[in-house]
Amino acid sequence: MAFQTQLWRALGVYRVLALGYASVLYVRDAGVYAYPGVGWLVLTGMGIWTVATLLAYRVPAGRRWPVLAADMAVGVGTVLITRLLDTPVRIEAGASTLPTIWSAAPVLAWAISGGWRSGTVAAVLIGGANVAERGTLTPGNTRNIVMLTLAGVSVGYVTELARHSELALARALRARATAQERERLARGIHDSVLQVLALVRRRGVELGGAAAELGRLAGEQEAALRALLAISPDQDLDGPRDARVDLRSLLRALANPRVTISAPDAPVLLDHVVAQEVAAAVVTALDNVRRHAGKHAHAWLLVEEESDEVVVSVRDDGPGIPDGRLTAAVAQGRLGMAQSIQGRLRDLGGSATVTCTPGQGAEIELRLPRQECP
Amino acid sequence: MTDLPSEPVRVMVVDDHPMWREALARDLTEAGYDVVATAGDGEQALRLAPATRPQVAIVDLRLPTLSGVQVTARLSAANPELRVLALSASSEHDDVLQAVKAGAVGYLVKSASREELLAAICRVVAGESVFTPGLAGLILGEYRRLAVVPSPTADGVTPRLTQRETEVLRLVAKGLSYRQIAERLVLSHRTVQNHVQNTLRKLQLHNRVELTRYALEQRLDAD
Repeated sequence: MAFQTQLWRALGVYRVLALGYASVLYVRDAGVYAYPGVGWLVLTGMGIWTVATLLAYRVPAGRRWPVLAADMAVGVGTVLITRLLDTPVRIEAGASTLPTIWSAAPVLAWAISGGWRSGTVAAVLIGGANVAERGTLTPGNTRNIVMLTLAGVSVGYVTELARHSELALARALRARATAQERERLARGIHDSVLQVLALVRRRGVELGGAAAELGRLAGEQEAALRALLAISPDQDLDGPRDARVDLRSLLRALANPRVTISAPDAPVLLDHVVAQEVAAAVVTALDNVRRHAGKHAHAWLLVEEESDEVVVSVRDDGPGIPDGRLTAAVAQGRLGMAQSIQGRLRDLGGSATVTCTPGQGAEIELRLPRQECP
Repeated sequence: MTDLPSEPVRVMVVDDHPMWREALARDLTEAGYDVVATAGDGEQALRLAPATRPQVAIVDLRLPTLSGVQVTARLSAANPELRVLALSASSEHDDVLQAVKAGAVGYLVKSASREELLAAICRVVAGESVFTPGLAGLILGEYRRLAVVPSPTADGVTPRLTQRETEVLRLVAKGLSYRQIAERLVLSHRTVQNHVQNTLRKLQLHNRVELTRYALEQRLDAD
């Protein structure tokens, strides 16, 4: 846990600074202590323990309860021993203990390691030692206990919070990696399935008879799977939040063995309402191809994104509208369709034109002014 | 189109799917081609190519270890005479565009029938490029992308389509055959073919210039 490592490092810095503070106070007061020599020994011991904990807490293996318990014992011990080393008069007067704020270090260590509960327990232990050293509860050591508890609880709480969020982050990262791996595997599998379906279709058609029917079915499934794969996964997720959708994904859903779709490699983003309208116009056009050019007619969709407009062309290879021999029914049907598509496009600020080339089928070109990016 | 040169054309098939590899090789042999090598991955293909000297390589774009795009690039670089036809199971995507830019002269989706495939190889042998409507759509998009985000090439020129080339490509993308396009635009079949090939050649040239520039920059940075 990165954050906790930082806290342990900060605790090390605190301990060294606190040791310096305790030393300065002792240098000033050593003369008035009852046993200044032993005091020096205690201070030396505190220095050694400071170095020992710096080393121990550097690695996660050293942040275990035996070490933490020893840390607490040293903290309590240095506080209590002050009662023996200092003069009763000074203790009565509320002089600070020999380790002073250095004794708060175990409280912080417990809080970082075990959260706010451990922090509280540690604060009570060190606070209790302070009371025992003084012999009674005074406003001075009450304030110390409150400060220690506050430090223990807040540091412990922050540690827990950080640990939880880091765990959540790790879980999210793991989940994303798993999803990506699954997607990668799926692509591989889909590719193999596509290969086999394409092969079955090819061989089936060549063999003819019942096999040809199997081949045809395989071909349909192949086209369906290919259309499914063409829809990018993040498209679905971003749908409701981002109002712009990729027109290619909408149109690719219309692909089948008789409808070929050509589009650029980059997404063609349109407002989702506009894209739906365009897709609906294309569906109408394709319906019309089926109705008038026959079941076996092939249709091609071309999506282009120009600098100022999006162009979608639908062409079929049906007989087109025979020159000069427009039967009333055909004219009715085709014009009706064209008007419905033209109406849709006009509402979107675009246009639709129908052209027929003898022998090359009919073609509808939908032009839509491109919206400015919001 | 059906007449083959007296000497059978030497073909290499690169596909990791054993069933496909065999089916392709069988179809080609039956049609009178000389399948000089089959490879299951790119490294094998690169090893076999110099020894077997194929004139045409049919490369599946999804291969283990080396990608089809990388294989296409290296085969084309090693022997500019070798004509690579890219093949892919899934529909037109970025790798198709990359393969074509790397030197493939055409692209066919694996759902193509045996006849379509043989016709495509026939055209590759004849020195033509093989365009599907999907590929034409991708190339139109690529030129448009280059026009919007001009990348500074060494000679400072971003490849552009002429009006005629755009017209031809759009018709290819709408599924018209070269013959139909020639009819509609009142051009010869050969001219249509040249226009289509030019669109490809310009992209490939641009790609090579970009790669060289990139390589030079890398070397300069390394110094």
